[in-house]
Formats: sequence, C-alpha cells, structure tokens
Amino acid sequence: MFNTIGKKIQRIDGYEKVTGKAIYGDDIKIHGMLFAAFRYTDIPSGKIKRIDITGTKKLEGVEAIVLYKDIPGAKRVGPIRQDYFPIVNDEVFYAGDVIAIVAAKTKEIAQSAVEEIEVEYEPITPITDIEKAVKPGSRLVHQEYKSNIVVHYPLIKGDVEKGFADSEQVIERKYRTNFVEHSYIEPESVTVVPDPTTKGFKIYGSIQNPFTTRKIVALFMGLNLNQVNVFPSNLGGSFGGKDDIINHISCRLALLSKITGKPVQITYSRENSIKEGYKRHPYLMNYKAGFDCDGKLKAMKIDILADSGAYSSQTFFVNWRSVVQATGPYEIENVQTDIKGIYTNNSYTAAMRGFGSPQVIFAQESLMDEIAEICSITPLEIREINGYKQGSITASGQKLSGHKVSLQQVINEAVKKSDYKKVRTKYFEKNKTSERYKFGLGLSCSFRGCSLGAEGMDMSSAIVSVQADGSVIVFTGVNENGQGLRTSMCQICSEVLGVELEKITFLEPQTSTIADGGPTVASRGTLVGGNAVIDAATKVKNRIFEVIKEDLKVAVLEETEWKNGKIYSKKSGNNFVEFSQAVERSYWKGINLSAYGWFKGPQVGWKEKTGQGNAYFTYVYGCHIAQIKVDTITGKIELVKITAAHDVGKIINRLGAEGQIYGGVTQGFGYGVLEDYNIQNGEVKSQNFDEYLIPTIKDIPEIEPVLIENPDKFGPFGAKSIGEPTLELTAAAVNNALKFAIGKHSYQIPLTLEQVFLGKNLRKPARQSEVVHLSQKKTKQVFRINNIKTKTPENLENALNILSEGKYKILAGGTDVIVQARMKTELLNLLNIYSIAELKEISETENEILIGSAVTFSQLISNELIKKHFPILVKACSTIGSTQIRNRATIGGNIVNAAPCADSVPPLILRRAELVLLSKTGQRKIPIKDFIIKHYQTKIKPDELLVSINIPKPANKKYYHSYFQLGRRNAMNITRMSISALISFDSENKIDECRLVDGSLFSRSQRLTGVENSLIGKPLNEQNIEGIEKLLSEKIEKEIGRRWSSAYKRPVFINMCKEALREINREFSRKNANNKP
Amino acid sequence: MIDLKFKVNGKKIKIKVDASLRLLDILRDKLDLTGTKEGCGIGECGACTIIMNGEAVNSCLILADQVQDAEIETVEILEKDEVLSNLQKAFHDYGAIQCGFCTPGMLMSAKALLDKNPKPSGDEIKIALEGNLCRCTGYIPIIEAITNAE
Repeated sequence: MFNTIGKKIQRIDGYEKVTGKAIYGDDIKIHGMLFAAFRYTDIPSGKIKRIDITGTKKLEGVEAIVLYKDIPGAKRVGPIRQDYFPIVNDEVFYAGDVIAIVAAKTKEIAQSAVEEIEVEYEPITPITDIEKAVKPGSRLVHQEYKSNIVVHYPLIKGDVEKGFADSEQVIERKYRTNFVEHSYIEPESVTVVPDPTTKGFKIYGSIQNPFTTRKIVALFMGLNLNQVNVFPSNLGGSFGGKDDIINHISCRLALLSKITGKPVQITYSRENSIKEGYKRHPYLMNYKAGFDCDGKLKAMKIDILADSGAYSSQTFFVNWRSVVQATGPYEIENVQTDIKGIYTNNSYTAAMRGFGSPQVIFAQESLMDEIAEICSITPLEIREINGYKQGSITASGQKLSGHKVSLQQVINEAVKKSDYKKVRTKYFEKNKTSERYKFGLGLSCSFRGCSLGAEGMDMSSAIVSVQADGSVIVFTGVNENGQGLRTSMCQICSEVLGVELEKITFLEPQTSTIADGGPTVASRGTLVGGNAVIDAATKVKNRIFEVIKEDLKVAVLEETEWKNGKIYSKKSGNNFVEFSQAVERSYWKGINLSAYGWFKGPQVGWKEKTGQGNAYFTYVYGCHIAQIKVDTITGKIELVKITAAHDVGKIINRLGAEGQIYGGVTQGFGYGVLEDYNIQNGEVKSQNFDEYLIPTIKDIPEIEPVLIENPDKFGPFGAKSIGEPTLELTAAAVNNALKFAIGKHSYQIPLTLEQVFLGKNLRKPARQSEVVHLSQKKTKQVFRINNIKTKTPENLENALNILSEGKYKILAGGTDVIVQARMKTELLNLLNIYSIAELKEISETENEILIGSAVTFSQLISNELIKKHFPILVKACSTIGSTQIRNRATIGGNIVNAAPCADSVPPLILRRAELVLLSKTGQRKIPIKDFIIKHYQTKIKPDELLVSINIPKPANKKYYHSYFQLGRRNAMNITRMSISALISFDSENKIDECRLVDGSLFSRSQRLTGVENSLIGKPLNEQNIEGIEKLLSEKIEKEIGRRWSSAYKRPVFINMCKEALREINREFSRKNANNKP
Repeated sequence: MIDLKFKVNGKKIKIKVDASLRLLDILRDKLDLTGTKEGCGIGECGACTIIMNGEAVNSCLILADQVQDAEIETVEILEKDEVLSNLQKAFHDYGAIQCGFCTPGMLMSAKALLDKNPKPSGDEIKIALEGNLCRCTGYIPIIEAITNAE
C-alpha cells in the first residue's frame, strides 16, 4: 500500500496558478532593464546584399544594434549539427531568420528601431518541396553540407524482397502529414541579466531545457558553463517547443546584455512566435506491405521523407524514433525502413510532443485497417494476429522481454470500456438509414520506447534536502513544463521518507546548483527524475535510520515502515519515532541530511548501418478508440468521444495522469482534423490563432481515460511514460473512424473540410509572381499597437463635429480595429464612439426596429424585440467570435468593417435593413444591400457615422427561416460560408416570398435572386429543392469559378442551400400537420 | 497622454497613460497586476480575459481611452484574505490547471458566468469559455471544476 503514489493529488503549484501569482517569463521586471526587438528577414530565401542601420542609430533610446559580426563565440549553433545562425550573416534560409537585433529603453523604441533597419536582398527561389529537394541536382539549402539530406536512418530485418515474394497480397500506400505548431498559450519570454560575479549571465524565462540553453549560450558567447546560470520561470506550456528557439533568443539577449551592460528582456508576439518557432515534421511516407489473406503480415518496406526545414535541429533524433517505431506494434519478419530528413526553406522542424511517432502511427494504423478490410477481417483481428506479444521481436531485432508487453491488454480494455463492439453495430445500422450524417468508429494502437533510448545519454539528477525541522526540499535536473512534475517528484519523495506532502517543497532548479539532469523531453521526467529522487531520498533515509534503529530495536531498514511523518517498526506496530524527532537527533549528531541522487538508464544500443539493436530499455503500449460524426454535405468532422487506454507502468498521480490523457488526446484531435499550418513559398501564412486553429472547449465533448498498470522494474515504483503516448494515437483513430463513416480511405492529415469532402486539400496555388513580390514587400516586424491617438466624444453631436474636422477611423468595440492597428506603423487617429448613449439603444417604431450602431452582439442576441422579430439575426450573431468578443463587438462595426465573413450582414440583407448615416451636414439612408461594395469597402464617407440599423418589422404573416453557418471548428470561427433563408407560403402552400442570402461566398453578401425567382409560385418539395442546383451552380461559376477554392465552395454551398430549404420544408410540414384538425 | 480614472478590484485608480496602451498593458505594466496574461493580442486565446462592468472581455482589445470610469475585475480579486474562492478551489481540486497560463482568463470567464448564472449547464459553460484556449488540459477538467464550484 502506498501513502500518496497512485492517488489523486492536487498540484503543489496550484495555489500560485489559480491566484495569478505564479511568475512566468514576462512577469519578471528588473530595474533598468532594456527591451529587445529582432529584425526578421522579409523573404524566406536569398542573399543579403546590404543592411542599412543608419535610421535606427538616430533613434533616441536605442542602446545597441547588433549584427552577425558582433558575435563573440560560435556563430552557428545546434543540438547535434551546428547549422543554425542565431543572427544570420549574408544569407537567409527561412522566414524566421533574424538579421539584426536591437536593445532600447522601451518596447516601443525597440520595435520602431527594427522597423528602421533597411535590408536589400537578392532573392533565391525557396525550396519548399521535399521530393524536389532530394532530387539530384537540386539547389543545396546549405552548400557546405554537400546534400539536402540531413540524415538517413536505414533499418533492415530479414529479406524484404523475399517477404514480398512469399506474400499472397502486396499493397503500397502513400501518406502525408503537415507541420504542427506547438501553440503553447504563453509566447516565448526571456530576460538576461549580466552577472558581474561570474562575468557571465543569469538567464530567466520560459525555458524548457535549462541545461541546453546554458550550453548554447556559453558557446555563442565564448564562455564557460559555470558563467551562465539559467533559472527557468513557470512555463506556460511547451510540448517540446521551448527548446531551440529559447536557446537562440537567449543567445541574442546575452549578446545585447554584454554590449549594453544591462539586463535585457524580450517577449514574443504570437506572430513572431509562430514565424520563428519550429514545428512538428511533416512526413511523406510510402508503405509497402506484403501479407497473407488471413491477415498475417509478411514484409514491410517503408520509405519516409521528413521535412527538416531550414535547419537540422532535432531531425536526427526525431527521425531515429520513427525508424524504430515505423512498423507499429506488429511483429513482421522482413522489414526495410529508410527515413531521410531533408533540408528545405520551410519553417524548421524539431521536437514536438510525440517526437516522430504521430506521423508513422497515422500511416501505419491507417494501413492496418486497410489490410484488415482486404482480408475481410476486423480491425481487432488484424491487431491480434500481428500485434506484439511477450517475447516478440521488433523491427530492430529487440526481444520484448523484461517488461509486460501489454498491447493486447490495452486494446481489450479500450474495447471493453468504449463498448466497441456494440457501438460498431449501432453505427453500422445507423449509417444505413442516415443520409446526411455518417457515424464512424476507429481504433489505433502503438508501442513507444520510453525516455531517450539509444539516441542520447540517459541520466538524471536530484537533490533531497531534509531540513532541521523535518521539512524537505526537493529539486531535480528535470523541469516543470506544466505537466505536473513538481507534484510527482514531491510525491515520490514523500513516499520514500514517509513525510506528509505538505512538508515538502519543490525548488525550481538553477543550472549552477544541480548537475545536468538531461532534458525534460521524451516523456522521461517521471521515469528518470523520479528514480533520481528515490536514490537521493533513500540515501538520507539510510542515514536517519542509522540514528534511530536502536530505538526501534530493528537491524535493517527493511524492518521499518515510514509513513505519515512517523517511522514504525514493522515487528511491533506501536513502536515508532516521529520523523521530525529522528531528523532533529540526526542533525545534532552532525549527520548530512542532504543527498544527491543519480539515475543512469540501463544499457541500450544501435547499429547505424543496419538499424538493429535494443533501442529502448522499456516500452509503453496504448490504444485509442475514436467515435465521430461526419457531415457529408460539408465534410465536417465532429468528435463524439475518444476512449484512451494507456499502460503507464504505475500511476504516480492519478489527477496528473488523467490530465495528460485529456490534453494529449485534444492535441491529437487538433493534429488529425483542425491544425493546418499554412506556409506557402516559404512564407508563413498561419500567423496567429485566427488562422491556426487549435481545438476549443466546444470541440472536445468526451474523453474517457483508461489507465492500466504493469509496474516496470526500471521505473520509480514501476512508473513509465504518459505525456507523449496520449497524443500520438488520436489522429490515426479518427482517420480510421472516418473510413468507417464515409467508406473512403484518407491518406493525409489534417482531415480538413476539403480533405474529407473532396479527398484532397486545397491550397492557393503558388505563383512565381508572388515569389518575386515577396522580395519587395516589407512586413511589419512586430505586430503591436504603438502609434495611436484617441478622442472620445461626449455625445453624438460632438462626434459628428469632430468627424467634420479631421480624418478619423471609428473605434467602437475594437475587436476589428485594434487587431488591424497592430499591423500598422503609421499614426492612427481613432474616434471612440463605444460609449455614446444614443448609439447603444434598441427601440421600435410602428414599422421598424431601430438598432443603435454601438449595440454589442451580446446586447443584440439577448434583446426581446430582436428575439421576437428576427430570430435568424440572433442565430447568426450568436456565432460571432466568443462571449468576450460579443461583449464588445458592435453591429455597426461588423457592417462598416465589411469583412466578407461578417455574420450580421446576410440576415440584415435578408430583412432588408436600412442604414442611417449621419454627418454634420445631414442624414442619408442606404439599404444595407447597396452599402457594401466589396471586401472591406463601403459607401460611407469620411465625415459620416453609421448611427442606426433600421429593420422593417416582418409583415403580419408566417415566415419560415433557416440559417446554416459553416466553420472549421465549433467556436471562434471565421465563417467559411453561410446561407440565410426566409420563406413564406400562400394559402395553396406555394412559395410566395423567398429570400436567400449568401455569407462569405461572393465578394459581398447578396440576394440569390435568380434562385429565389425560380422557387416563387412553386411548392417547396424535394424536386424543387433539387431544382435550384443548376441556377446556383451557374451563378457561383460566373462569380467565383476561377478561384482556387471554388472546387470546394461550389458543391458545398449548393448542399448548404438545399439543406436550409429542407429545414424550412420540415418545419412547414410539421406546422401544417399540427394545424390539421 | 490620457488621464484615466477607473476602478480595479474595487480600488480607485488615477493614472496618466499613453493612448496606445491597451487595458492589458495598463494592468500588467502600470499596475503590476501580472495575473492577467497575453497570449495572442487579437482576442483569439482569451488569456487576457478580465471582467469589465460585469462582462468578460479581452483586455488586449480595449484601448486606454475606453477604460474611463469602468469597473475592472482581474484574477487578483478572487482570493480574499488568503482564502481561495470556491471557483479557485474547484480548479485546484479537479485538475483544471496544468501550465496555468490560460488559468486566470479561464477563471474570469467562469466568474462572469457564475455571477449571473450560479448553476450553469454544460452548454452554458462551453459558451462562456469558448473564447478561452487551453493547450494542456483538454478542457474537460475545467468544465468539471466550474460545474462543481459551490
């Protein structure tokens, strides 16, 4: 029985995190500190011809402008191959390269300073396609490495050709995955402080691997390791992402700090974080499999190209894990795997949760389902036939023994808990009758090597220091990344010493106070850190035992039990010594109550040429079962539930372990369905969270964690790994569920709307003219508001007077204006009308409802008049942004901003709203349908203010309406397309009025008059609904037919229109039926 | 520069600030209320959520001039006399926190909801928190915490 291990334990750092007191990187303030800003390249690839810093030098408050030539130590750095330039010299290799760095007195000055740095380039067409990059004769990204191949790992087991020849069936499939952005909510922040004692630096901030940061900074600055002391702050998420980038930022800041002699801080904007930060590797995977008709795998040949981007970083190790695990948890006699990491001019790729496994699992597990289908066996049967069992031999020739091979156990548990077989039958039956929605059930499973394996030196450190009063301090060489490491380390210490958890504190390690414990990666924190804590705590325990053993009349430690702050004799349960007394006595005897703990992983090995060896000392096994619902008319996937079963060895903290599953599965769903990093011609298009979509609270309905324990002899109390296994399986399970639902295999993730609907992902085609255009464009360096003047008028009259006198941009809720202002450098004069009382009311006249232009969407959708008369407006406006956005954003702002995706506009056109524009010289009214000219252009004059939106009250008859909005996820969408429909019927049940308005399809929302007219005078039946297709199709073809997106938009919009009409028809039929006597 | 007068967590504030500052900057840089976080600067992540005149809003999208006479509540208001609020306790108990960076924003969105609706349904919680991104917890423990906050 354990005291604390395995229980639900609240985080020991929970208090500071729920009170806002926890200190993160940007919460650090140091007297006299300067602020840094970095000058990024304007193009992804090219030679630098000239850098002009004269404008910057003139700015007051700028204290240092630093270029490549100023670097005192190593000019290139990297974890394995030193190919990364923290500041580039005469060439840029990707969009996130930094050309110059600046330190100034304020953030604003630093940011203006980098805007002033002029750079002239000789652009080079970027290499962005891995298949082209490996072709002989392709331009080399880095000339000096003589090849674009960063690394090639082969693996050969048996004779794959003979295996194919012996197989009854051979199939070959190609799979693709995309870049993934870590999307930690905290952007990077680093503060570097000069340390006159060591003539080096202290470094604070959002640092995942402090020892790596120390090493890289020391190299770059030409210092010894003992001159750089790294203090990690609370880390606002990392997932592998705050390693290299943080090291590079730290290098730049150390240099600025050295030159100025002052502390320097930088906190990234989200845009710069995404632009410079590394990503998960996109893989292009070719799987060839030979098998017998009973499903037995005979041979597998796997060829993988991994996009390393502009730098190598962790590509070596990431690809190595892939080569070990590429066949999945299946015993295959003949295997040949070749993986190559490739240089391109894309974002560079490195560590991200999963580390080379999510890609191959997606391919492998999709392939297994396809083979099962060919063999007419179930997904469970194929996994049972081929799955690892105790003593199985892996692709690298490792015999799986010494730990419980629990693959079948985790599958069985997941199947049982999810009621897999029953759900399968249920969905199968449901799909026979359900036309629009199809339900899917999919399974995936994996094995995963724990910790670093043969890729690195696996050791770790800990210090346990018992204080004279019996309280304890623990610190480790591994770090809290948010996963809960502080809590589990304290629990482990508590368990060994029998001291209550409340008496133990965790000290955030500094690199100068504890030995390098290796990085906090590879789901190794608990495993290696925990073992080091046990080692240290046991040493102290033994020393205390020597002092009190005579009191307890025992000879050896094993005869005692340490729990609840007491040390008991096992022989006579009543006989005990208080831990605090034992400590006090030891203290006065001069006993050392602090101890160093060390853990070195068991022997592993790898033969580079053949890819054979004992890759990892132990493995974990997992299985995910996904249930999804697919809207076949749009291609949208909705998650229903994920059941996630994981063998963790031993649970240390159940709350933390389940938390890892919830979080990992959510990221896995994002990977499989939502996250579509967009980089074109090397230019990063997904700049912020409006374009890079991660799951929201509305996208994750249910996750069922299933934790399985098979204690491992190498783990602390038997614990192994949980962080990464939770993520790696979900995308594959969802893809298999999609096949179940729609009967079609998909070979690429993310499963975007287009991917599901068309079977391919649409991308704006790259044009050479754009590449050239890129080289001439200068983008703002830091998206931040820095040049604004505001005026707040007291009332409407005052506002109109101000408008007549000068040029102003109107500021209301600010949810568009402030976002746009971040991108501008020039002065912006804003007129803040948000609080003008006259504009904030909703009122009615005999014939109209009048909505003040500064009415917020929250106000609008909860207003009784609006709810009564215009439910369609309520429906559309409820989908805008989030609660926070709707609490600020105004209807007037939405209209005047004139974004094609403005959600309030189509229902207002539908309801023939009229806009009242007021200026000092008079008033004019304009129908909303005529107001918007095209994207972001309206007919408003500079001295006019939109004051009211007047909507005619509906005629006194029954209107039926329908609103259908399509977004990629379930909240915070930019509307992909919408249709608003309004219909009334005459006494003969024929349509007498019909209004249809598109949203986000054409360059401005408009009535679909052709289609409307075709329906008037007809009954609304299936034949007439189908009949709109031709007209609508022609209209779309004419307006947007040549756009790259129309291949998706045309058929789906037609589907949406039909569905909206069907909804009205259903409602109408229901009402009619009810009205019949 | 603008002369501002407003209330934060019940305390009257008078301050002179640059017009380009956002409420978020004023809270963090001028008033040292660093519990409120910045994650994206465009109202997409909700880490900077605070309550303004009773409504949850993104403090990154409110300019200095718009704060005049407002009543602001930040995460720092939740703990009273070293006693955690029930909402904070529930976040702690249900494992609704991992890295903690989104937590202040989550708490303030939840508070704005609970102030008006003490017994929200699951769907109401999801609507109130749809603008708060979390990359660690998968949201499920957060919903449990709010549902069970007494």
